[in-house]
Amino acid sequence: MLWEAIFPNVLAGDAPRVAELPMDSDAFAGFYERSARSLWAYLARVSGDPALADDLMQESYLRFLCASRPELFLAEGEVAARRYLFRIATNLLRDYWRRPRASSIEEIPEELFAASASSAQADSQAILGPALALMRPRDRQLLWLAHAEGYSHREIAEITGLATASIRLLLFRARRKIARLLREQTDRVSSQRREL
Amino acid sequence: MSLIPCSRESEVTDMAARGHWPQACAPELRTHIGACPACADLILVLCAFQSARADAVSTAKVGSAGAIWWRAQLRRRNAAVERIGKPILGAQIFALAVNLLLVGGFIVSQATHGIQWLPWLEQLPQSQSLHFEVLWPSALFSAGWSFTVLIPVLATLALVGGVAVYLVSERQ
Repeated sequence: MLWEAIFPNVLAGDAPRVAELPMDSDAFAGFYERSARSLWAYLARVSGDPALADDLMQESYLRFLCASRPELFLAEGEVAARRYLFRIATNLLRDYWRRPRASSIEEIPEELFAASASSAQADSQAILGPALALMRPRDRQLLWLAHAEGYSHREIAEITGLATASIRLLLFRARRKIARLLREQTDRVSSQRREL
Repeated sequence: MSLIPCSRESEVTDMAARGHWPQACAPELRTHIGACPACADLILVLCAFQSARADAVSTAKVGSAGAIWWRAQLRRRNAAVERIGKPILGAQIFALAVNLLLVGGFIVSQATHGIQWLPWLEQLPQSQSLHFEVLWPSALFSAGWSFTVLIPVLATLALVGGVAVYLVSERQ
């Protein structure tokens, strides 16, 4: 009796075949190069924590590679792959927010305290950062996907798992709120500069 | 609060996405943005987010793609090994259960018919050669089955059963 016939995956050495990834390493390296920075920007700005963004970005790519959906890349190409990646990242962020946690001051990365940003970056962070912090997590995600990444309502619905019809209303409300917060924040920053 | 979107929203979005705001914006569209609160909000939010995105993308320190690729390979391989291991564990449990039944049956049969091999064990040190025929007395089983037949048959059944359970669970 051939033992390969009885234990095909163990003796015939099929384990590596099972572990085959949906992309080859070169294709992945190219895709990573083109998508990693925008994914990190999404995670860092929506979570407000660059260290968390690093972790979640790695986990997003790992899950993306481990997902058995090679047909996705063949059928729709990189646009769909990118959308899928953002969907994984969105779910990871949601899981993170749902998790109960207690963080001490030692756990906060030093970069958060360092004033390393340029003047323009500091302006952008000083105005958008506090405004975003006052928004609900889901609204932050919707706003970033729509206005920073330029996704359509249908694509945002696919990424977040919400109904397309709800996206328009949620986005409209979120935009109105953050526009008000941005104006308030701009006024506050301007008055602080005048005082200095 | 009106939820009816402005009809020129997409035009404003396209213009901002092309980077035409504010210098290269058509005067007529600029006048509209000044008068329409929805489009004014939209352009404010678009500019803030696109500027924030550009800043974040320029400061992002992304790791190596190779390390992530290697970790993904490792994770998939571990998952595959785990998937293969599950049916083997099932087969082992099945084989163990059959063997326990066999031992239980043997003990019951010995208890019922009397432990006839104990005297043979006592005589064993004194004997010059091993007398295996003492081990399989035909009187043990009224149906005519002896251990010489029954034990290999049950052992084969346990082995084949274990393999069958493995194949079924592996296919699932």
